[in-house]
Amino acid sequence: MSDHLTQRINRKKGDAALAKDRAQVDYAGPLRRLVLAVLVLALAGVFLLWRIDSPRVERFRAQVTDAIVPNMDWAMAPVTGTINLVRDFQSYRRIAEQNTELRRELRQMQAWKEAALQLEQENARLLDLNNVRLDPRLTYITGVVLADSGSPFRQSVLLNVGARDGIVEGWATMDGIGLVGRISGVAQNTARVILATDASSRIPAIIQPSGQKAIVAGDNSAAPPIDFLENRELVRPGDRVVTSGDGGVFPPGLLMGQVAADPGGRLRVRLAADYERLEFLRVLRHYGNEPVSDTGDVLRPAALLAPEVGE
Amino acid sequence: MSELTPSRLWSMRAAFTGLVMVILFFHLLPLQTAAGSWICPDFVLAFALAWSVRRPEYVPTLLLALAFLLTDLLLQRPPGLWALLALIACEQLKLQSRSLRDATLVTEMMSAAAWIVGIGLAYRIVLAILLVDVPPFGLDVIQIAVTVLAYPAVVAITHIFMGVRKATPNDIGGKGVRS
Repeated sequence: MSDHLTQRINRKKGDAALAKDRAQVDYAGPLRRLVLAVLVLALAGVFLLWRIDSPRVERFRAQVTDAIVPNMDWAMAPVTGTINLVRDFQSYRRIAEQNTELRRELRQMQAWKEAALQLEQENARLLDLNNVRLDPRLTYITGVVLADSGSPFRQSVLLNVGARDGIVEGWATMDGIGLVGRISGVAQNTARVILATDASSRIPAIIQPSGQKAIVAGDNSAAPPIDFLENRELVRPGDRVVTSGDGGVFPPGLLMGQVAADPGGRLRVRLAADYERLEFLRVLRHYGNEPVSDTGDVLRPAALLAPEVGE
Repeated sequence: MSELTPSRLWSMRAAFTGLVMVILFFHLLPLQTAAGSWICPDFVLAFALAWSVRRPEYVPTLLLALAFLLTDLLLQRPPGLWALLALIACEQLKLQSRSLRDATLVTEMMSAAAWIVGIGLAYRIVLAILLVDVPPFGLDVIQIAVTVLAYPAVVAITHIFMGVRKATPNDIGGKGVRS
């Protein structure tokens, strides 16, 4: 009896609540549509503003990133460390075969080391003879990678150095060995590096030893293809690719990688930098190349010049 | 169990915000710096759709808009466009949520899949019209496909671990206790 009563009361309460629910929805309907319309217009406005005035919105984006990502760093560092640890642990299973492979490589390396030592001595002697000074202005700032782009369509990383450390838009970034990318987007405490693999990256390069100029154009793959090559015949897989310094963005002579041909016969660059593990990056301070403006007087000695003047 | 007290309402809204931040956090971990690696589903969109179908009141329009815009900004997408499309998709699913409440999971999945594919295509079309560089078509198709495939898993997580379930008439007074 009392059960029956409770059930009826409950049902009534349920009905009342449903009715209230419906009433709320009816009342909130126009308001909700208004809010939605305002938000849709605002988002469309943001997008159009970005399309029209991209640098301003990108600066805003850099500031938002600057405000949020460094705050996550305390949690990101241990999580990244743990995941890398697990990955390393998985790789222990292959340790035996790696070991033999490494031994084989080590034997080859010892041969190379001998050659390198001899070359180093020879090089030092020659440099000494020539009184060569390497460019003293090319110093660097080291930054730690905070975050990656978070999307498979963009290849970029975020460094923990920014305008506070004197980073300037466009500077080249390297890991210990090869070129990694270019600074694009500087906030107070962070800077974004567009990697050479990003689809928007175009880097003028020289292929040694043939001296062919080309553009290394990123396409979201691990090995960016080589474009605008003058004479393909002169380039062979294994040739070194270094930056040419054309356009004044990068200093010349930074190592990018080696030429490799993909199965389709297209030439690509196997990058020297270790893109799998980008942890510390060097940002090279670069204040532009000095343009060669005057013709060389040395080419025409004064003695030869004199008769011409006489005529 | 899903008694809609203000404290529960606001705590679930906070939970959604936290969820988005956690997803972004894992996106941003510097683990995949090499190109050509995995393409993972768009979890922010999938969770937003699943929550919109189940409990529209937990994901108010403003919260969704802010979450999507933040995602756009942090993940280097053109800001605003994807947020706009995703917001429209979520709002449409909210409007359908009353009829989807009684529908089976398959119907709901079809509906969500249609929206995911639809806004994925619309996104590319708008970018192409405005002459923005678009990523290769294959990558986008893969991302749309894995997002659609991940949707049932997202629904399961939402249902089982987060306790966000479709409202049923039994929820109200079902146990004879109201706070």
